[in-house]
Amino acid sequence: MDAQFAIVGRDFAISVTDTGVSRSIVKMKHNQDKSWQLTPYTIMTVTGEPGDIEMFSEYIQSNIKLYSVRNAQDLTPKEIANFIRGELAEALRSRNAFSVNLLVTGFDKVTGEASLYRIDYLASMAKVPFGSHATPSFILYSVLDREYTPDITLEQGLEIVKKCIAALKTRFVVDMPEFTVKVVDAQGTRSIDIVQV
Amino acid sequence: MSIMEYCGAAIVAMVGKDCVAIASDKRLGQQQLTVDMEFQKVFPITERTYIGLSGLATDVKTLHDRLRMRVNLYKHREERVIEPKTFTHLLSHMLYERRFGSYFISPVVAGLDKNNRPYICALDTIGCIDSSSDFVVCGTAATNLYGACESLWEPDLGPEELFETISQTLLSSIDRDAMSGWGAVVHIITPSGVITRDLKSRMD
Amino acid sequence: MSSLLSHEIGYSAPIEVHNHGFSPYVNNEGTSLGICGEDFVLVASDTRQSNGGYSINARRSPKAFELSNRTVIATTGCAADAKQLVEDMEQRAQYYVHKHGREMSTPAMAQVLSQLLYTRRFFPYYVFPIFAGLDAKGKGAVYNYDAIGNIECVSHYAYGSAAALLQPFLDNQINKAHQRGADTTAKPSRAQAVKLAIDAFTSATERDIYTGDWLEIFIVDSEGVHKLTRELKHD
Repeated sequence: MDAQFAIVGRDFAISVTDTGVSRSIVKMKHNQDKSWQLTPYTIMTVTGEPGDIEMFSEYIQSNIKLYSVRNAQDLTPKEIANFIRGELAEALRSRNAFSVNLLVTGFDKVTGEASLYRIDYLASMAKVPFGSHATPSFILYSVLDREYTPDITLEQGLEIVKKCIAALKTRFVVDMPEFTVKVVDAQGTRSIDIVQV
Repeated sequence: MSIMEYCGAAIVAMVGKDCVAIASDKRLGQQQLTVDMEFQKVFPITERTYIGLSGLATDVKTLHDRLRMRVNLYKHREERVIEPKTFTHLLSHMLYERRFGSYFISPVVAGLDKNNRPYICALDTIGCIDSSSDFVVCGTAATNLYGACESLWEPDLGPEELFETISQTLLSSIDRDAMSGWGAVVHIITPSGVITRDLKSRMD
Repeated sequence: MSSLLSHEIGYSAPIEVHNHGFSPYVNNEGTSLGICGEDFVLVASDTRQSNGGYSINARRSPKAFELSNRTVIATTGCAADAKQLVEDMEQRAQYYVHKHGREMSTPAMAQVLSQLLYTRRFFPYYVFPIFAGLDAKGKGAVYNYDAIGNIECVSHYAYGSAAALLQPFLDNQINKAHQRGADTTAKPSRAQAVKLAIDAFTSATERDIYTGDWLEIFIVDSEGVHKLTRELKHD
């Protein structure tokens, strides 16, 4: 029951995850950062099966790092998303599929555009203006559908994030006291304190 | 629920007079949850051959990627552009290769051959080719599309008439299917080029 | 003890085993549709009767019936239940005539049909009726129901094995859905309605194996009920 969502404006993207890790009815951890830095301008948030998350995300992170080191150039968010999807799709039809849902947010320095790729555990990929996964998505999508416009500013985007978190807190059965909010834009990636939001 | 109905799709191809049309809806869903309203299901293979892929979204992408590679290889080896019929057999073999662990995709191919003769066909998940001289359909709205096509299609339609017919057919059909819709796109393939138009539709 | 005994004499009486449960319902397939006009209504049904397999029970087993000289009913689902339902309706209509000395109005009969279906809420008639007639002002009215009596007054409707094939076509041709600039409130003329019904069924017959053989069209207007029959594909 991980909450995970992201929204994209013209030149920024905001990625949000809750911080809880639970097994059955027990909360194992309450300060987990579920986002992974892939390049200075790309992050991905990953939820799903805890073991798979670690294995798959580290594999992806390492390989994208390797590409950067070898070629002295970073992959674009689009390239990264396609690479991830390819790896996930190949694993899906092997004996060790990964149960991971991902949101890849990034800023392309060449085009000056931010983007979000939604990839689910079946490796279905879609480039979307906003995205979410699993059970909380039923609540989050209704808020996002109502509030989102393509021309939002970062401030408006953070307002939507607030509303999404408020909706989760009031309507979702699982208690989620804390969230990680990360922004990707021309300045790179940075964390935003939810209290500050 | 069947895995073929997991994402939702409505794809139709029609033959006209010296032209063919292929159209699809734009919804990507996870059962009843709509995830994307701009999902591409129809892809250009060559300048005058298009393919529509209905079924599981992950395989739509995988199959399209693999097809693109195979068609490029063909182009390099043969130094010519692949014909729609040849492409269909390539696709059929690629699908049958996975006979006992198939792609969850039923494709539709539409194109004009080198003599500008229209070619359309549909395939099943394991590559059985079903070619037709009038129209082919696939996706969750297939039954609806069959009914509408059977009544609205007529032979020897020009590009603009064909556009109107395929649009009316698709829009009427997706309105009665909860799994497809949320916008549509139509490609009319003519000897002088491809006309692509986006259609507005009900967003429910 | 008895089994021991039967082993000893090396013979056991054959025991009849009924391990298949009784199923009270059968879907006899086929298709019905209703179209509402300004001063007339049309209902049409094919006459093929099947049981969901590859066999045809009957090629001429009508499922649309004249209820009075201004109402008709078209059914799909279980033919036996449909027959019983239609008899129920006829009985209720007769009773009303004897009690009140006049015929029941169309909206009243539509309501009675809904109530009849609901009386069997927990063991329903497996019937999906389309009821059509002229109202007190002589205007056409088409009602469709589910098996437990949910009722809706519509401009057109299709039920049965080819419903999914017919409905988008009817939406497009009668409601003029997606036809830019078309008058979406205009109702079809009588000739148009008949043409649409025939076109729709000939198309459905091409793709649906359960629809075919003969098409019965009932048209209700101020003069009464008129019946047309058309041949459909027999394959």
